[in-house]
Amino acid sequence: MSKHLLKFSVNGKDYAVVVQSHERLLDVLRDKLGLKGTKEGCSTGDCGICGVLMDGRLVNSCLIFAIQARNKKIVTIEGVGSAEKPHPIQRAFMKWNASQCGYCIPAMILATKDLLEKNPDPTNQEIRRATSGIICRCTGYLKIFEAMKTAASEMKESE
Amino acid sequence: MFVPENVVDVLQYLDSHQARVHLIANGTDLINRIQRKQVTPKVLVDLTGLPELKYVKREAGMIKIGALTTVSELIASPVMDPRYDVFREVAMKFGGPSIINMATVGGNICSASSSEDLLPVLLVLDAEVHVRSIHGERTIRVEDFVKGKRITDLKPNEILVETSFRELEPRSTCGFEKVGMRNSLIIAFVNCAVYLRLTENKLCDEVRIAFNRVNGKIPQRARQTEKIMKGKKLNEQWFSDAVATLRNELKLTSDFRVSEEYRLEVACAIFKRTISRCADRLAGEKILV
Repeated sequence: MSKHLLKFSVNGKDYAVVVQSHERLLDVLRDKLGLKGTKEGCSTGDCGICGVLMDGRLVNSCLIFAIQARNKKIVTIEGVGSAEKPHPIQRAFMKWNASQCGYCIPAMILATKDLLEKNPDPTNQEIRRATSGIICRCTGYLKIFEAMKTAASEMKESE
Repeated sequence: MFVPENVVDVLQYLDSHQARVHLIANGTDLINRIQRKQVTPKVLVDLTGLPELKYVKREAGMIKIGALTTVSELIASPVMDPRYDVFREVAMKFGGPSIINMATVGGNICSASSSEDLLPVLLVLDAEVHVRSIHGERTIRVEDFVKGKRITDLKPNEILVETSFRELEPRSTCGFEKVGMRNSLIIAFVNCAVYLRLTENKLCDEVRIAFNRVNGKIPQRARQTEKIMKGKKLNEQWFSDAVATLRNELKLTSDFRVSEEYRLEVACAIFKRTISRCADRLAGEKILV
């Protein structure tokens, strides 16, 4: 079992952490950095709940060994808005009551962020595609899609 | 985990350590298999830090794809003009955005399981893979490279560096269909890729058909059906003869996902859908119902 020094950036802050070969990015984010916003679901890449942005793209943190994130820029839900100043996507999710149990919401919000940064004016189909890898077991998809549409139009207006 | 700086590092390491070393790219397949204890690697060699294997380029009539190119990068590449929309068709059914952002073309080939969606497309494009060791490089057809379920021709001291195929000629096209439970991240019940080229007077000049998951082992071509289709005019007769031959040719098995009978119906249905889409695209009009 070898150890490595992992240097990477999380939510704009640089970290250097000792990690073991078998530790996943998800484990390091939650247990070593204390960023519990990223959730663990199926651990096999099916549910998408553990989604984070790596160099601006949505990835499943359960399918990446921590050391593979070296020199990368990670964004977790803790890096998107705050309780005092929520991100427009978070405001839209609140407006639509899009969160039920809330477990999938960090990944849904990051997927929305990834989508809107590349495509500020998505179609309904593109919205569905963007979240298609994430399972909401409360099945609250329609409100999530509405929130994503609202977020898109509000972010466009504020530009 | 061995973290190499460049390809030469990897090749030197592999040449000196051969026992139970596994190569890992973005891990969408391998991490699952490690967790299920289907593989127990002693050492993993991380390939993700090798940007020199991330590219899509057009060179001397060939399309060349670096092994570490992710499916997202592949379909976003300007080299993949609308003639290569088949890769977009694959990507839409390959997995959700987070999976296609991670899964690599080389990984999909080397996993060599019956569920890989890129393999049938590479088969009908008659693609080759280029593998490299410290002693040199060799080129193998994808069809010969994938030898069985989870078995490839890759030697313990080699890595796959590139896959390449000839550019699509005029009057040729390629299509893909897949049926599974879910569009994002699902192992197909069956999938199908077709390459079709017409002659100047719109006869079928060349056709290649590949299925994955039909016999539960590796992707395979439907050569008898291809033979029946060649040299003929594209009409309803051509179409129904092809489907009838395919029905006899496909050797299917049941598994926990679907039964043999259902799989046959689905295979024929997606074959019809794919071939008629390709034919329509080439003819510029709806020619098959």
